[in-house]
Amino acid sequence: MTGPTPLALKVVPPRPTEDRRAVLRELYVKYGGSVRERCRYLLKDASRAEDAMHDVFARALVHGESFRAEASPLTWLMKIATHHCLNQLRAEGAAWRRWFARDEAARSEGHGGSEAMETRDLVRKLLARVDAETQAAAIHYHVDGMTLEEVAAVLGRSVPTVRKRLEQFAKLGGEELSVR
Amino acid sequence: MSAHESSWTLRRLHAGELPPPEANRVREHAETCEACGAALRSFADAQATFEAEVPFEGFEAGVERARARQASRAPATRAQWVRPLMAVAASVLVLVLARPLLETGGRTEPVPPPVAGNRIKGGAGAELRIGGGVEPQRVASTESPEALRPGERVRLGYTADAYRYVAALSVDARGEVTPLYPESGDSLAVEPGAGQHWLPESVEFTGAGAERVVLVLTDAPLSMEALSDAARKAFDAAGRDVTRMAPLDVAGAQTQWILLKP
Repeated sequence: MTGPTPLALKVVPPRPTEDRRAVLRELYVKYGGSVRERCRYLLKDASRAEDAMHDVFARALVHGESFRAEASPLTWLMKIATHHCLNQLRAEGAAWRRWFARDEAARSEGHGGSEAMETRDLVRKLLARVDAETQAAAIHYHVDGMTLEEVAAVLGRSVPTVRKRLEQFAKLGGEELSVR
Repeated sequence: MSAHESSWTLRRLHAGELPPPEANRVREHAETCEACGAALRSFADAQATFEAEVPFEGFEAGVERARARQASRAPATRAQWVRPLMAVAASVLVLVLARPLLETGGRTEPVPPPVAGNRIKGGAGAELRIGGGVEPQRVASTESPEALRPGERVRLGYTADAYRYVAALSVDARGEVTPLYPESGDSLAVEPGAGQHWLPESVEFTGAGAERVVLVLTDAPLSMEALSDAARKAFDAAGRDVTRMAPLDVAGAQTQWILLKP
């Protein structure tokens, strides 16, 4: 086999080390429940949601310092989790339509029709009918309860742009989704 | 404006992210507001349920698996050479096609993991080889982060072509710069003769997290102090994210790799 012959070992000692396990434990305690909840809300499958949650925290570890420098790690994590799950659904194509159909079926078996449907369920039902950015805006605004300004900051868009997207989304769902 | 705090504000309070004055105000409100207090308790309950259903050890193992998976399929996002790339395409093709044959004794099946390298300026290039662990030696890709397994070390090689000096350093996730070759003074004169030369000794990176390794070939000596300064500036310019650093602002040609320490 080609390659270097063994020579003396040069060890680069740990510099100000970060204890990855301690970092991960802190993330687990502070954000684990929220991220899992987001993944379950979108993927509606406990096993897939857990895999997605692992992916999100793995990305947080890889981004290390910059992630922890965020003013709100929660915002970063929820943005990544939302984006990751929506991408996963979108990539599945036909599965996205099945996902939508399953949501419809669940609703018809419910007991209150659209009036009784919680806002978050209504939002999820409508997601398949809008573009990716509107999906994210609707989730952060209606499900997370962010302000327009916070949603705009997360998406890197202006407040008027976000408002316009949310107003278009509201036309699909009625008064319950009005933008304040 | 609603009399209640937003769900997002309450969630941030629960995560301990609100600045103290706002946290105090929101906490006081939640203590007297049934709806907001219930929302806050629901976040605590959800977290408690999560911890009961997903023990930390299982969570940690899942995250590590995801991390390794992401490292093995990360897209090419980083520029490695700062010199014009006109000659790169053909020479990389030669390397990618030729290297597996070299390492498999002529067998045609590819050698995992993928081989990568750089060739510029007619034949200059660099290679980072990983070995010393239980797995066979492999060449680190410059296209995506390379996960190191426990006990693995790296060895740096270069093909100088017309360049006359070589230097290497590494930057960890906190931006700490370690001059590797040489550890101080000016960059090393390249070994005489054509072909690839290996820098002395293997290098073991201890600790955890990402580590960027940079090898620079230059026409003139370069002080390691200046090279280290350039690395710190690139780290700061990347928002202190070692995975996002651009090529260092120094003359010559450079190759960069990202290693994920176990």
